[in-house]
Order: sequence, then structure tokens, then C-alpha cells
Amino acid sequence: MSQLEELKAAIRGHLDSLDCVIGWEQGYDPLHATPLFIRNESDLERLSISPLAVHNPATYATGFAGKKIGMVVRGCHSRSIIELLNEKLIERENVVLFGLCCDGVVSQRKIRTALPADPGFVEAVEIGDDALHITLAGEKTTIKLQDVLADKCRICAYPDPLLADVLIGNKHDSRPEETLACQEAFEAKPNAEKFTFWQDTMSRCIRCYACRNVCPMCVCQDYCIAASRDPLWMSQENSPAENFMFQMIHVSHLTGRCTECGECERACPVDIPLMLLRRYMNKQVQEVFGHQAGTSLDKTPPLLTFQVEEARIKERDW
Amino acid sequence: MRIGVFICHCGSNIAGTVDCESVAELASGFPEVVYSTDSMYTCSEPGQEGIITAIHEQKLDGVVVASCTPRMHEPTFRRAVERAGLNRYMFEMANIREHVSWIGKDKEHNTNKAADLVLMAVEKLRRNRPLVPKSFETIKRVLVIGGGVAGIQAALDCADGGLDVVMVERDQSIGGKMAKLDKTFPTIDCSSCVLGPKMVDIAQHEKITLHTCAEIEAVSGYVGNFSVTIRRRATYVDWTKCTGCGVCTEKCPSKRSPDVFNEFMGTTTAINIPFPQAIPKKAAINPATCTMIQKGKCGVCAKVCPVGCIDYEQQDELINVDVGAIVVATGYDLFDWHKYPQYGEGRYPDVITSLQYERLLSASGPTGGHIKRPSDGKEPKNVVFIQCVGSRDRSVDRPYCSGFCCMYTAKQAILTKDHIPDSQSYVFYMDIRAPGKGYDEFTRRAMEEYGAQYVRGRVAMIYPHGEQLMVRGADTLAGTQVEVPADLVVLATGVEAAQGAVKLGETLRVVPDQYGFFVESHPKLKPVETNTAGVYLAGACQGPKDIPTSVGQGSAAAAKALGLLSKERLESDPAVSKVNLSRCVGCQKCIGTCPFGAIKAITDRQGKLKAEVIETVCQGCGICTVTCPQGAIQLEHFTDNQILAEVNALCPPKMNASFE
Ligand SMILES: Cc1cc2nc3c(=O)[nH]c(=O)nc-3n(C[C@H](O)[C@H](O)[C@H](O)COP(=O)(O)OP(=O)(O)OC[C@H]3O[C@@H](n4cnc5c(N)ncnc54)[C@H](O)[C@@H]3O)c2cc1C
Ligand code: SF4
Ligand code: SF4
Ligand code: SF4
Ligand code: SF4
Repeated sequence: MSQLEELKAAIRGHLDSLDCVIGWEQGYDPLHATPLFIRNESDLERLSISPLAVHNPATYATGFAGKKIGMVVRGCHSRSIIELLNEKLIERENVVLFGLCCDGVVSQRKIRTALPADPGFVEAVEIGDDALHITLAGEKTTIKLQDVLADKCRICAYPDPLLADVLIGNKHDSRPEETLACQEAFEAKPNAEKFTFWQDTMSRCIRCYACRNVCPMCVCQDYCIAASRDPLWMSQENSPAENFMFQMIHVSHLTGRCTECGECERACPVDIPLMLLRRYMNKQVQEVFGHQAGTSLDKTPPLLTFQVEEARIKERDW
Repeated sequence: MRIGVFICHCGSNIAGTVDCESVAELASGFPEVVYSTDSMYTCSEPGQEGIITAIHEQKLDGVVVASCTPRMHEPTFRRAVERAGLNRYMFEMANIREHVSWIGKDKEHNTNKAADLVLMAVEKLRRNRPLVPKSFETIKRVLVIGGGVAGIQAALDCADGGLDVVMVERDQSIGGKMAKLDKTFPTIDCSSCVLGPKMVDIAQHEKITLHTCAEIEAVSGYVGNFSVTIRRRATYVDWTKCTGCGVCTEKCPSKRSPDVFNEFMGTTTAINIPFPQAIPKKAAINPATCTMIQKGKCGVCAKVCPVGCIDYEQQDELINVDVGAIVVATGYDLFDWHKYPQYGEGRYPDVITSLQYERLLSASGPTGGHIKRPSDGKEPKNVVFIQCVGSRDRSVDRPYCSGFCCMYTAKQAILTKDHIPDSQSYVFYMDIRAPGKGYDEFTRRAMEEYGAQYVRGRVAMIYPHGEQLMVRGADTLAGTQVEVPADLVVLATGVEAAQGAVKLGETLRVVPDQYGFFVESHPKLKPVETNTAGVYLAGACQGPKDIPTSVGQGSAAAAKALGLLSKERLESDPAVSKVNLSRCVGCQKCIGTCPFGAIKAITDRQGKLKAEVIETVCQGCGICTVTCPQGAIQLEHFTDNQILAEVNALCPPKMNASFE
């Protein structure tokens, strides 16, 4: 039985007891997937779990408060779920997790650069074991999967779901690359250069808040600080300074909570490399508090607790 | 708004390096400022009258005073504006003394900075709103934790002042370290003779309830209204019946209990009364060494007890009391000197601590007051004292001075000569610190009248030398190495926080410093207060202290508690956090970070989770406000918008290129 069939069978077994199961299906063209909300057998038939199926179902989890739902989760998605559970934003008995041991998903941005022309609308995609065969304007291009793997997947330390009720696929035992060259290169730049970079890049931001809306940990619903007048932390003015301010706030609200699912960066319509900031913060949290969000149950993010003396911070060194 | 600004000269304190007139002049141009002036001493009677008159004449509804630190005079000025009919929170203070005139010399820069600070205060004030405190009744009972001399003094003073007192002591008897001492400096009077009567008073005072073998399990509530849970350990003896006759302790066959009272110099019986003057004088069983409790065999004490009070099945007991104030007097413990390789790490039985030596000197001690060294019971002739063992030493993370070791070492040298006239004492020291009344004279007496040899320098090693120990050290004054043969070595072990102090601090919400000593509210002006209202400190739990100072603090803490509870009702500070229910999404992040347990989860009418602040418990620390992502919880009087207004006053936001 293929993994897809195995998964379908597992979901079928739970469908009656769940309000819905969140997975993926083909989107507006064969190259793009879109989230699928499975409520019955015919929805289930459309389920797809190809490397094109990228969206983090955890983003929808809090929206189903009080209902029982299922979710198809990859490794990083399971981290978001664990984090939501740890923060008591969802309840364990209300979610059934169908875990996929994940070999990585694609970056549409990388595919776009690899294709000869702007993809606009592709006619067909054939997914091989290690390559994508994409037909665009009658012409077929083959792209190695390895070349278009999302950055987060290249350094992913948790490809297998850390929490699942049903586990599909084979567990991984190889360790991924430790570091990302682009991240290292950026962090090595002098501050002045970084400043100009963000000044430049943030002037592209259109404040659509896609990054926030897609973030599974941004659970403030309609009350996001970005849209508030009291307190008024930032104006609606669309300037690099205010835009960057919003990103700083987002990053700090995600301190010790960001599960590095990469959704924010993926969702940004103007290609702002938001993960540069997220990864940096996550590294700090790891160094200072030894904490990695969503990697174990019953761990509270360090900034959501109070300790008179932090184990790793020597505040009053003589 | 109509804002009045008052710039204070503080004599020449501020005016010396700040052009106060110019600041006043500049301030008159700030938003909504209708009146601006400078005065010589704003806090003085005429200064305050000036504010009041201006409020009336100029119809001011907010006042800014630029002067000293708000810790000094904010209450003064708040009362002044209140007298003029304004709400006391319609007042802001700019600190242009500590923050400007005292730290900068350049008059022009200082003047500009002062004006900036005034602008910040004005911008904040424009967003202030009147706040009204709530009032509540107080409970006229005090909890004293720790029955050392400091706690005893605090308890007696509170009880004499008419308050009910509950005293909780961890050991079997009260008395603390002082009960173990032989004689006390600087008068060499007998420790138990001066402490004993006070201990008896505790037992007999009708307003004092004593729980020994007891610790604090939990504390909730707030100033004036704490509720406390006390855990009393099982003693396996019914103390309502026990008369303290001691028959059981004579007959108990299990004699291998560590003798805690005698600082582990020997062993004692499993059922025990720690010392003859113990309060309460009741027996208790050490369950670890009682063969009846361990193996179900023996039962001798139950057979011999004339009143039948032995109960091998006794359980821990939880006692709940409500109190209005808490005095913490948990004292200190001694540094574990075994960390030092140079003193033998415990290999030589004749290297002992100062407190063990007190027990050897004491008539009620294990040797009946005859100094006998542990190894062979011989009387020592050469006694070497080593000071600063675990004090003033960064290498063991104890950089502080333990305060009283210089003094008690001198005392012990004197007493050694008294006990053994043909003995010779040597004292290795770093400096002699004897600043108290009669203290320097005392250490001199030890040297001059009692012939103690003082050697300035550290000890490098102790090694066995026949029946003796050889102490090798530096004499830094003579610039030589010295070797002193010793029959007994006494280490003046440094002071550290009482065991369990950090945990107790968490329960009480009193912050310990990095060494575990509790931090007072202000090192000079509030030495016995803590930052948790209604909780006071006395004695060595705040830092090393000798008996006179500990007793003084005990009385000071009692005075604070009496003052607090002399009021029928207390007002709560309205500058506490408040949840904007329509913005709160009930994520409960704030509940997890509040160090005071002041936020609880509630469900609103639609069944949605929300946070709610218990106003009287909230201390206004603001941690919740930086936790809440969407700013739903705000600290009144320090809201995000008020703080942001100050920041924006300093660095006005620039309109950006997008509006070109
Ligand atoms: C060797 C030596 C000699 C000294 N000689 C002198 C001298 O001659 N003159 C002088 O002025 N000073 C002397 N001192 C100092 C003196 O011991 C202290 O100043 C004094 O004991 C401090 O009193 P205290 O009540 O603050 O603390 P302590 O005496 O330590 O009493 C604290 C009490 O609190 C109890 N406790 C601790 N934790 C808890 C808890 N969690 N719950 C309940 N109870 C608890 C303890 O059991 C203890 O009974 C000497 C000290 C030493 C070490
Ligand atoms: S900040 Fe970005 S990477 Fe982090 S959890 Fe949110 S969407 Fe995922
Ligand atoms: S950015 Fe901050 S305030 Fe806005 S939704 Fe995310 S966590 Fe909430
Ligand atoms: S998704 Fe991109 S453009 Fe939209 S707000 Fe976020 S950073 Fe700006
Ligand atoms: S952190 Fe904010 S949103 Fe969350 S419960 Fe507290 S007040 Fe409400």
C-alpha cells in the first residue's frame, strides 16, 4: 500500500468521530497545493501529500477551538502542535495527529528561479523519486528535488513528527546539515550592511500581514498589537522603520515559541527573507535558555515563566 | 489639560550645574503647559504652598515637578497636589538631580537634558488619569519565621504592642545560633543567661503561639491579609502531654543520632531534648535512628514515659493561620569549609569550626565546658584560629565579609586563656574589623591582656606533625613564612544564608540576593522592609549581623509591623495591572509570568477565558504587561502609551520617505 493509501485508510477510520481533518490537495494548478478540509469520503479522495503540500495545518488549529479535528502533520508541523499544547491553546483530546515522516517540501521560490519562464500556470507536474518534471507552455523541465528543497528542510532536525497518533512512512536516522550558508553569511555581515539590507528589504513590505496570519503561534486573533491604537506601538505608516518595527515585535512575541515552520517567509508575497530574523532569535533562545520550541511536551517557553534567578544567566557576577 | 511645571534649584544641588530658569522658560512652550516657574526648594513649606496657589489661581489640572528622585519626594508632592484638590496621580516628577546635575558638569548639556526630562514628564502627564485606591481591613496578627534572637525580639515586641504572634521555628527549640554560644562579645556575658529569659517569655506570653519543628508550606494573600499554611513535622511525641522530664532520653538504647545542637560533636539518643534550656522543653524522636519506627522493635520510650505521650504513628500536621504581616528572621548557616584543600577537607579531627568550639567552651556542651580536642580528648595548649574561612574569598564565591568572625575569634582567644591559663592562641587574620561600640578595645584586650598572637596572613596548609598539626602560613607584615604547631585548629567559618532560604523567598515572594540573603527594600532608608508589602526582615537572614544588630532589627521589624497594623484599614496602590477584557484572548501567558500569583483566569459571560488581576495582590511590577503580546493587560499609571509618549518625547518619530 502506498503511503497515501495508508494515510487515507487511517483517516477514514477516524472521520466519523472528527469534525474535520486538515490535509492538502492540488491548488489552482498542478504545481501548487492548497489546504484541504476533509469532512467526508469524497473530500478524502482529493488528499495529496506530495512535497508540494507545504502548508502548516497547525495554523488552523486554534480556529477550531472546542471542536475535535484531525491534522496531517510533518515534523515541523508537529512542533507547532506541541507548542500550542504546551501553551494550553489547544487540547490534546481534541486533536488527532496523522504524522508523516517527511523527506522535505519544495520552495516555490526556488522552483520559480529554476524554471525557464515565469510559471504563471503550469500544465502538468510529474513527481518522481528525486525530481520534478514540470510542463510549462508545452515544454517539459526536470528539476532535482534536492535543488528546490525548502531551506528549513535542509537543516530540519525533526523530519519525523514528534507527536502523532498514527505514523506513516519510515523514520529517519541521518542528521541534516547543521547550518545554512545564507544565514551564516548574513550574520557575518557588519551591522551597517545589515542595516542597509533591512532598510532596503523592508521598504518592499506592503504590511499585508500574511506572515502573521499564517503563523501558527500568532493567536491574538483580531487584537494583534499591529492594529491597535491603545496601546499604540506603531502607526499604519508604510515605511521601512514601521515595517521593521512590526517584524521586531513579531519576532519578540515569538521568542522561544517559534517552531521554525517557515510559513511566514513562504507566505510573504514580496519575498522578504523573514527567517533570517526568526532563526537568529531561535539560536539566541537556544544558547541562553537551552530551549527549542515545540520539541517536548510540558515545556514552557522561557519568557512565559518567572524565575528569580535564571540557571544560565549570571546577572550579578562579581 | 492645564499643566503647571515647577523647576527646583535644590539650593545649589541642581542650580549649580543646570540653568533652572531656562528650563522653566523652555517648559512654558511644551504642550498644554500654562504655567512654568522655578523655585529654590520646591519641597519646603513655601515651595509646596507655591504649587497649591498655582493650582488654584491657574486652574491647573496636572503638575510636573522637576527636582530630586521620586523615591525621595514623590509622596510629598502627591500630598501637596491632593491638598489642592487634584487627584494624586495627576502629578509627574522629573529627576534632574540624580539623573542630571549630580552626574554631569557641562551646564549647557545639563540644561538641555533637564528640559528633555521635563518634556517627557509633561507628555506622560498628558496621558495620566485620576486613580482611586481601594481600602480593606487588616488582620491584627503577625507571623514570625525563625526563632533566633532576632525573631524572638520581634515576636516579644509585637506581642507587647498588642498583636497576636505566631512563631514558626524549624528546629525543635527556639534560640537559634545564640543558644549554642558560650559567652558573647564584647561583654563576655553568658549567652544562655541573657537569651534564656527571653525564650521563656516566648513560651509564656499569652499573645504568642509557638510552633517548632515547623516550616512554612505556602503563603497566599497580600499585605494585611496573608493566609499561611504551616507544616509541623511529626515529633512522635504528644506535646500536649509531654512534661519534658527526660526519662525517655535516659533510657533510649539507640544512641547514634547526630547531635545537631552540639554541631555534630558526638551523637545522642533517638528520642531527645536538645539542651536543658530548650523552649519548648519537649522530647522528639528522630525517625531515621529510632529502631521502633525503622524496624518495629524497641518501644522502650513508650514503656518508660510516665504520661504516655509517645505516638509512633504521628503524622505531619498542616496548620492554617491568617496574618496581617510577616517578619522573616531565618538567620544564617555556616559555610562548608570542606571545600578548602588547605585545611585538610575533614581528614584531621582536630580542625573544627568556630561554632563547634563554642560548644566545647560551653558548660552545657558535650565536654561539660572543658576544652578537650576531638581526636584524643587531651587539653590543647596551642590553639590556632584561622579567620576568613569562606569569607572575602572570590575563589569560593564568597566575596563578602561575614562581619562578626573577627570579634568572636578574639572572644574565643580570651576564653581559651580563661579556661587553660598556660595555653597560647595564634590568630591568622586578613584585617581586623571591629567597628562596633567597645569592639576595637575588645580585640586589643585579646592581644594585649590575653597574649593572643595575631599573624597577618593566609594559611597555605595544615599537615599532621606527630600528635600535633602544623599550620603553615604567610606572615605578610614580617614578610616571612611561619609554621605554628597546633593542638587544635579553629576555623572562623564564614556566614551564608540559612539552608532553604531561597525556597522560602519564593514562597514569600521576597527576592534573595545571589548568596541567598534576602534583599531589603532600600539599603539605607528601608533596611527591614522588603519589596513585598507587609513582609519584613530581621537579623542575619538579610546579611551577616551580630547579636546587638540582630536584636535592633528585630525591634525595628516589630515597629514596622505594629505601625502597619495600627491602621484599621489599608489602602491598596491603584497603580496595578488591569486587563482590557475586550482585548484579552485568554491565552494565560500573563498568569504564568506573574511572580506574585496576582492574575487568575476567569470566564466571561460568553464562556470565554479571560485574565483578571487581583488588585490587592498585584505589586505593579509590570512583568505581565511585557508578556501579553497584544497589550491587553496594562499597568495603570505606566501604560504602554504613557511610556511610549515619554520615548517619543525623547526621540520624536520621523515621517518617512513614503510621505514625500
Ligand atoms: C561561632 C560564633 C560565635 C558568635 N559569637 C557571637 C558573640 O559573641 N556576640 C554576638 O553578638 N554575635 C555572635 N555571633 C553571631 C550570632 O550568632 C548572630 O548574630 C545571631 O545568631 C543572629 O541571630 P538571628 O536570629 O538573625 O539568626 P539565627 O541565630 O541563625 O536564628 C535563625 C533561626 O531561624 C530558624 N530557621 C531558619 N530557617 C528557617 C525556616 N525556613 N523556617 C523556620 N525557621 C527557620 C533557625 O532554625 C534558627 O533558629 C556568633 C556567631 C558564631 C558563628
Ligand atoms: S514565526 Fe514563522 S517560522 Fe516561526 S512559527 Fe511563525 S510562521 Fe513558523
Ligand atoms: S504579531 Fe504579536 S500581537 Fe500580532 S498576532 Fe502575532 S503574537 Fe499576536
Ligand atoms: S508577509 Fe511580507 S509583506 Fe506581508 S507584512 Fe509580512 S513581511 Fe510584510
Ligand atoms: S497575556 Fe494578555 S491576552 Fe493573554 S490572558 Fe493575559 S491579558 Fe489576556
